[in-house]
Amino acid sequence: MAAPVRASLFVTCLVDLFYPEVGVAIVRLLRRLGVTVDFPASQTCCGLPLFNSGYHGEAARVARRTLPLFAASEYVVVPSGSCAWMVKKEYPGLFDDDPALRKEAEALASRTYELSQFLVKILGLSRVTTNFRGKVTYHDSCHLLRGLGEAQSPRTLLKNLEGVELLELPGADECCGFGGSFSVRLPDVSTSILGKKIANIEKTGAECLVACDAGCLMQMGGGLSRKGSAVRALHLAQVLAGTDGV
Amino acid sequence: MRHLPSSLKIPFPERAGAALKDASLQEALTNATTKFIGLRKDAFASLPQGDLLRDRARAIKEATIQRLDYYLEMLADNVERLGGRVHWAATGEEARDIILQLCGDRGVKTVVKSKSMATEEIELNEALEHAGVTPVETDLGEYIIQLAREKPSHIIVPAIHKTKGQVADLFSHALKGRFAADPEVLTAVARKELRQKFLQADMGITGANFAVAETGTIVLVTNEGNGRMVTSLPRIHVALMGIEKVIPSMTDLVVFLAILARSATGQKLSVYTTLVRGPRQHGELEGPEEFHLVLMGSGRSNQISGELREALYCLRCGACLNVCPVYRQIGGHAYGYTYPGPIGILLTAMLNGDHAVKDLAHASSLCGACHEVCPVRIDIPRMLIELRQRLDRERIAPLAERGVFRVFGRVLASPTLFRLSATLGRMAQRPFVREGRLGSLPLVFGKWTKTRDLPPVASRTFSERWKELR
Amino acid sequence: MATRADFLSRIRKEVRRTPGLFPASTAIPPDRPSEAAAAIRRQMSERWPEALERFKQEFEQVSGVFHRVTHIEEVPGVIQALAREKDARELITWEPGELGLDLRPHLEPQGLSVTVAPSDAQDGARLSYREAAARAQIGVTGADFVLAETGTLILISGSGRPRSTSLLPETHITIFGKERLLETLEQVGVVLEDLHVDPTGTMSGAVINFITGPSRTADIELTLTRGVHGPKEVHAIFVESL
Repeated sequence: MAAPVRASLFVTCLVDLFYPEVGVAIVRLLRRLGVTVDFPASQTCCGLPLFNSGYHGEAARVARRTLPLFAASEYVVVPSGSCAWMVKKEYPGLFDDDPALRKEAEALASRTYELSQFLVKILGLSRVTTNFRGKVTYHDSCHLLRGLGEAQSPRTLLKNLEGVELLELPGADECCGFGGSFSVRLPDVSTSILGKKIANIEKTGAECLVACDAGCLMQMGGGLSRKGSAVRALHLAQVLAGTDGV
Repeated sequence: MRHLPSSLKIPFPERAGAALKDASLQEALTNATTKFIGLRKDAFASLPQGDLLRDRARAIKEATIQRLDYYLEMLADNVERLGGRVHWAATGEEARDIILQLCGDRGVKTVVKSKSMATEEIELNEALEHAGVTPVETDLGEYIIQLAREKPSHIIVPAIHKTKGQVADLFSHALKGRFAADPEVLTAVARKELRQKFLQADMGITGANFAVAETGTIVLVTNEGNGRMVTSLPRIHVALMGIEKVIPSMTDLVVFLAILARSATGQKLSVYTTLVRGPRQHGELEGPEEFHLVLMGSGRSNQISGELREALYCLRCGACLNVCPVYRQIGGHAYGYTYPGPIGILLTAMLNGDHAVKDLAHASSLCGACHEVCPVRIDIPRMLIELRQRLDRERIAPLAERGVFRVFGRVLASPTLFRLSATLGRMAQRPFVREGRLGSLPLVFGKWTKTRDLPPVASRTFSERWKELR
Repeated sequence: MATRADFLSRIRKEVRRTPGLFPASTAIPPDRPSEAAAAIRRQMSERWPEALERFKQEFEQVSGVFHRVTHIEEVPGVIQALAREKDARELITWEPGELGLDLRPHLEPQGLSVTVAPSDAQDGARLSYREAAARAQIGVTGADFVLAETGTLILISGSGRPRSTSLLPETHITIFGKERLLETLEQVGVVLEDLHVDPTGTMSGAVINFITGPSRTADIELTLTRGVHGPKEVHAIFVESL
């Protein structure tokens, strides 16, 4: 696993706009692990918010311009289970009527990984060194868990951190209530779902809530912060990168 | 007693809101769904071939639908060979008319009913009452909601929203007695009361969980015994069935029996699985003189070649309701139609048209938990997205929303517009940022900030910071 | 009302419109069900002790009460004891030919009233059996098959074996021997295929009942209660000599 690996970062719209520190953490983390990181310019979004609301023409347009940006990438790393899912599972179908583009989409899908998958399955890591310390609990994002079948990789990485205690979250596999536009179409229901999630988070006694999806972090972080909770909501990348070199 | 507004005149978000404020409903929902989730998990943990059986069950449903006409014809021939009558109802209305006609022709005054979602679909009870026939629900949960004049709020436990106190009040009022709020006592009351009805009724009406084409058998999966009573004691038995319930053979049947009860209640088998083949046979002491099978195509035939085809596999087990984060918060009545929960949204679109799901199609965070537990692996999230696409295409979604998403689409497809929107966002948010957070925002953003903080658009986006990182 | 022809042609049209997008295959029934069923019987003649043990576990799991006796002559004693326990006065039973036992000479001298199912199906007999069934506290039947995997009794209705015997009284007692035992639902599938081989219906009656424990519901606050409409208790007496 020591061969130099090249990874292109597909940073995602939410991280780009709202959580750039997560993007920065990924770059620092990957470089520390010997990975060469590049960032294809003029990327915007994977198109998932359009797709989920049924605007497939619009989603296809976004996908179409995303394909060439990563055409030369060896690996595409995405700090979001839902965005990785979009590229891996839905992109090919968006181009059913264009065989050439469909092939490109399938190729991109096969090279795309959510961050924890990339670390554990491609780099073959189970342990990372970081200066992050404390009690954490982990929430399974729906698309990462059910869409990509990934429950173990984030837990493996968290469990093996020195000075970090991973406390299992009751109902970890239950939705946080984000669901993209769902969070503002049915805000009361979304908030009610969130309330149950926060009660579970607080029950663990963890100092930090970790997830692999910016949407979930926005929802859970937003709820924790509104409550005045001391629990921080962090992306896995931030925990693994720690504050070394900042 | 509190009656939640399921009237469709009230918009869905309000109906949902009312459910969220109902503390006793919230408690009942949390307890019931949590319990069912655990029961189902345990039941499948002890069934190593569970996943394989689910794949097989799904394949059987698909194979059957691919030759649906063939199997329905086989079923009808076999039912008739055994002395039963088959009726063909293209719509729910026709199904109602057929049953009412039978009641009229045969001098039926009282009907005892075993739980049937199909009869709920066509609002049969109201039609019977209107025609001077008394329908008596005999499934305890259905009996309770019949007395309360409500609709079921869950496919398997229709009265889950009622506390034992509420049930005791209902019984005391309806039966002119005073009964303790004790499930044992109340069950005994229902047993005694309904026993008389079984013995005196002229007609028994059931649904059918399955109908085996090769043998002309209809299959009822129940726990209380009312299914057996209803199909053995009255002189006429009518079974109302959606066409998608037919399966080819007995060998197929046992594949479904292996997983149905486990999915619904965590039991290996329900207490009674009843295989009924027509009216009583020559020499049999008991059983109906007449058996009628009413096959209903309503809404279903259209979907055979439609996008919601997979929804035809549904076994009505309720597993998807129990895991749905939305159902778990709002319960069944808020959905407003016969079938609630994830599968309910698809069935409502099938049976009532796309307009009916204008709001319901979005009553989902697309978390996929339903897909995960469905015994026949129906990909409900995928079809919800299809529905949403149809709402746009058919212009059922509001014009304003469609406009916003068109603009949104343009912004996301253009790096220049994307960067511009970040700049504009930063400017617009300035007056609202407090302590590094957005606590209160106007317009649609207010729907978020009413209950949650929002991070502000970063002073420098990741793209803008890349130069230093490179 | 739609005619059969219209209805089916409508469906045929829809079916033709799409080949179907997903894997599709029906379960494969046995080529020769009677031979397959016979093979199962041979297998079970060896495996019945394991099956019985499994049945007992599963049956008790669903609150069934299991009894075991050596000879059929011991059965009336078991039933009498149960009747005493429940303060029962009236019993109904399958016709003695179907049951394999006539309980009347054993139980009537003890002051118990035993109504056996008539072998004819006249209206008069029908009415009087129904009245007896509605009054009786105990119903005694045999079983056509006993499924170990789930603790299930499988009873086929028919002349001399009316449905209400296992349904109306509060206590249902089944008598069975080793020949009835099956291990898996899959085997039940084979047996069902065999039973239905003749499509004109050679079975004794129109209903096959699978009974897995006493009647139950959890409709009120998810609290489990028994004996909603069907029996509150189910007993199975295994007779070694049968």
